Amino acid sequence: MNSRSRYVWAYFMIAPTLIGTLVFWGWPVVQSILLGFQHSSNFGTDNHWVGFDNYVKLVHDEEFWQNLRNTLIYVAMFVPVTLVLSTLFAVLLNTKIKGVSLYRVIFFLPQVTMPAAAAMVWVVLFAQDFGLINHLLGTRMAWLSNGHYAMLVLVIVGVWGAIGMNMLLILAGLQGIPRSLYEAADIDGAKRFNKFRFITIPMLTPTLFFTSIILFIGATQIFDSIYLIIGKTNVALPSVRSLVYAYYQNSFIYNDRNYGAAIINVLLVINLALTGIQFAFQKKWVHYD
Amino acid sequence: MHSLTSKKINLVVHIILIISAIAMLVPFIWMVLTSLKTTTEATQIPIRYFPDAPSFRGYIEAIKQSEFPHYYMNTIISAVMKTVFPVIFSSMAAYAFARIRFPGSSLLFILILSVMMVPNPVFYTPQYMMMSELGLVNTVTALWIASLISPFATFLLRQFFMGISKELEEASVLDGCNPFQIYWHIMLPLVRSALVAIVIIQLQWAWNELQWPLIINSSPEKMTLSSGIATLVSMFGTDYPVLMAGAFMAVVPMIILFFIFQKQFIEGIAFSATKG
Repeated sequence: MNSRSRYVWAYFMIAPTLIGTLVFWGWPVVQSILLGFQHSSNFGTDNHWVGFDNYVKLVHDEEFWQNLRNTLIYVAMFVPVTLVLSTLFAVLLNTKIKGVSLYRVIFFLPQVTMPAAAAMVWVVLFAQDFGLINHLLGTRMAWLSNGHYAMLVLVIVGVWGAIGMNMLLILAGLQGIPRSLYEAADIDGAKRFNKFRFITIPMLTPTLFFTSIILFIGATQIFDSIYLIIGKTNVALPSVRSLVYAYYQNSFIYNDRNYGAAIINVLLVINLALTGIQFAFQKKWVHYD
Repeated sequence: MHSLTSKKINLVVHIILIISAIAMLVPFIWMVLTSLKTTTEATQIPIRYFPDAPSFRGYIEAIKQSEFPHYYMNTIISAVMKTVFPVIFSSMAAYAFARIRFPGSSLLFILILSVMMVPNPVFYTPQYMMMSELGLVNTVTALWIASLISPFATFLLRQFFMGISKELEEASVLDGCNPFQIYWHIMLPLVRSALVAIVIIQLQWAWNELQWPLIINSSPEKMTLSSGIATLVSMFGTDYPVLMAGAFMAVVPMIILFFIFQKQFIEGIAFSATKG
């Protein structure tokens, strides 16, 4: 077969993915950026350019800064806690103990559970008067209506849902470390902790790096649990409202899609910048072998 | 002496794992227990662990007062569409990107991958406007039409195709097979386990997704399980047995699938990690 007709086949085979990506994902990114510079009235029939007006409004909007702060606080708590606990469980399950596959199934169960359904149970568990958690702790904390506690609840719920997946990813990484490295260390009489510190952790960095990027991108988009656990009438909402929640509220509740676009474009820039930074630093601290 | 310490360590490991496992399971246990309680039992102080006599009122109310048959139907249709098409389209594209050097191939591949870095909500307003122009707001079609492709699956499968030796293909080229025939008859069966992993990842994501169904469809009979049970909260407020019954009915199909295919679920994730 000549190369000309191979090209034609190649274009034919990538066509659905390419066209789908451009139409439904690529073009919307461009449109979202354009929407941020426009103002629409009359139910979107009248669009006109307003330059940076939406962003000027954003910069002067106290609520926006609060939402940005909330999002970053959530990310800063959720990502490290998930990474540490997932690594801990992965290391424990990588030993020769009984029941490993049962533990794996149990830890993975939250991952297959619909976040909307899980959120509803967490509301009951964290209820102030009749909630199981206050009952077990012997406290009467207002978990869901105090801003600080509410943020903690969102982190707990997030970590609960994320451990299973990340533990498996890290476990796969652990099992990819060559046995011979540990055997060599044993011959040298290395201690358990030193083997962990000087073999496991460095060899695991590519996996931890990959996992942290995925976790980070996911965490900045927190919405489901705020929508369902905190809810729009809760007094704690301003202390936990994320950028995505604010985007949803402005675009689809207040019908101001241009201001909504400005908010979500900020998140787009943050994600692109941080992915860029992570990739740049990757060479420095990740050991690829 | 040495075996004693490792026994001790084993015991500590088990204790940590058992406590954590119970903590992971509490929400499921509480969901089921609460769904079987009466409304008073669910909010009683001091707290009650078990209902006096299991009541199915929660389930009956949830089914009667909302559109569960529609929620199931819409979720199944949209999850199947969002799984089958991305698997077919991504594997086709992945094969072409892995094996055929055509003009612009690396540029187009990077273009497709770059949308993976974009947070999903960025797409929603423009997609909503698109659906609105096509007259698709409040239809089941709108749930899946924008998700028939998967850049992530394309990336993952390309890695797998690149790891397969070229000898098999060279023989079939001599037999006069075109690239599509090679992909379909020879290559696709070789990446079966990767395809299973992608089916599982897609299915799980499509089943559980909340934000897009919430935005695009507001009539109850066009909702998915996710957006449907979210509206139960506004209908039933603090009638927790009904809410828990609804939540249980929404999660149970995926959990059954998980128990049947747990090996594929867990290996699928691990598998994609080693190539990602």
